[in-house]
Amino acid sequence: MSRDSTVADAGGRVVGDFRIIERTKKVPGPQERTFERGLGIVTPLAFVLLWEFAARAGWIDLRFFPAPSAVLSETWRLLRAGDLVAHIGASLSRVTVGFLVGAVPAVGIGMAMGLNRYIRAALQPMIDATYPIPKIAILPLVLLVFGLGESGKYAILAIGVFFQVVITTAAGVAAIDRVYFDVARTFGVGRLALARTVVLPGALPVIFAGMRLGIGTALLLVIAAEMVAAKSGLGFLIWQSWQLFAVEEMYAGLMTISLTGLTIFQLLRALETRMLRWRPINVQ
Amino acid sequence: MPRIALATESRFDPVPAKLAIKDLSKAFGGRAGVTAIDNLSLEVRAGEFVSIVGPSGCGKSSLIRIVAGLDAEFEGDVHLAHANPGRLLTAMVFQEQSNFPWMTVRENVSYGLRMIGRLDAEGRKRVTEYIAKVGLARFENAYPHQLSGGMRQRASVARAFAADPEILLMDEPFGALDEQNKVLLHDELIRIWEETRKTVLFITHSIDEALVLSDRVVVMSARPGRIKDAFEVPFERPRSVMAVKADPRYGQLFKRVWDALRDEVLRTRCGEERGGE
Repeated sequence: MSRDSTVADAGGRVVGDFRIIERTKKVPGPQERTFERGLGIVTPLAFVLLWEFAARAGWIDLRFFPAPSAVLSETWRLLRAGDLVAHIGASLSRVTVGFLVGAVPAVGIGMAMGLNRYIRAALQPMIDATYPIPKIAILPLVLLVFGLGESGKYAILAIGVFFQVVITTAAGVAAIDRVYFDVARTFGVGRLALARTVVLPGALPVIFAGMRLGIGTALLLVIAAEMVAAKSGLGFLIWQSWQLFAVEEMYAGLMTISLTGLTIFQLLRALETRMLRWRPINVQ
Repeated sequence: MPRIALATESRFDPVPAKLAIKDLSKAFGGRAGVTAIDNLSLEVRAGEFVSIVGPSGCGKSSLIRIVAGLDAEFEGDVHLAHANPGRLLTAMVFQEQSNFPWMTVRENVSYGLRMIGRLDAEGRKRVTEYIAKVGLARFENAYPHQLSGGMRQRASVARAFAADPEILLMDEPFGALDEQNKVLLHDELIRIWEETRKTVLFITHSIDEALVLSDRVVVMSARPGRIKDAFEVPFERPRSVMAVKADPRYGQLFKRVWDALRDEVLRTRCGEERGGE
């Protein structure tokens, strides 16, 4: 956008002809945001429709890629029979117990490590050395020690969650600005009050990030553990459907895991938003 | 015996000053390290507002951290006269943003009182009073990230005053603020201080700030920090920033302080050009 004009100096004398360039503003309207959100729904819907069409037209092998409608009706059947609810319940209770048993001590120990250099010096090398072991690799050992009952599943989940949360908690505490500790010290704050008013709230954003990682690990491990050592749960359902070549059931299991995981993450996010109300919105 | 001694429990003679620092030395990095403060002695009387002006890196912040009890590695004697052991001895206003981001303005201002167990009805009244005094009444439920830099420093000042310490320590509290906000905050601090008459040790690099606020301005030398000179500030109270600046003595005093400070600033510059110490 431009036009031609003469330009005058401070004394009012014309100094010449210029092309006047006008800077224009562009404000993204609300309809653009609606469009963005709509894209996120339309794209997967189109993909499912294409899949359905391809299945009906015989373009894809139904033995491996059953039609979405067939998967849905199989899911509905499993739901009505009560099997699916039982499997979800079994997996969820394992994730819940395993997560709590792993995460609660991890936050405590992580905080102690972040606060006390001797505790950190004592534990950090051990954690660093054992952290890289894929937790699935120690599943047989855990099953050997704890047996095939529920405690074995709890144990492997707790171990996986513990590592994620302990490392992030210690890092979160270490990253708290020193000035906040100084403020507390100038008011003569004791250890317990320091932990409650400075350390825990200060490290909480990072602890939540660790818990998200921990939930991811817990979901992975619960499925793995149920595949090899359980008679219930979504992992068992999928493994069994493979053995019985019930592909639609397998897809129903996969879809359920996806939705369950999504729900857990949303709940954690809601909890996080609620507990971290003090944070600037754009960080969340 | 490099320890902070409280007069109430001291084996030393009774201290005439509220705050007495004698032959204080501080070195970083052991014996071969850098001497930050070298044999510094300073007394602050009860109810006196003393500013310390010095070039950057002269050990001003180290000095105030030692007085605040945040740094126990030093040589020499630091005496603080604690009149009422039930009361907080020192509170500090920090240079950087020091409000807890996870607490509202009200929770931040209450923090000191809450931690020393004095957030009773009277304490809560003090909190409300000081939030209003620094002009944050409308923002008491806001979180620090929702406030401007000036408002955050106001909350820090309110937190220190609300805790009702016997000695207030301020470490360049307005250093990061713009000129216009500074004038407003100076006027507010003068007003609150004149009401309370607390003993204040104020660190700054600004001669202007020191003259406007204090009863006495102490000039510190470049590293290693020593007391170079001290100036009584004659402006009557109650004061205001503009009244002080309009006073003909202001320009003269500014020049005298600057003359004392100038060589020290130049020395730090030479030091930098030679690549540090």
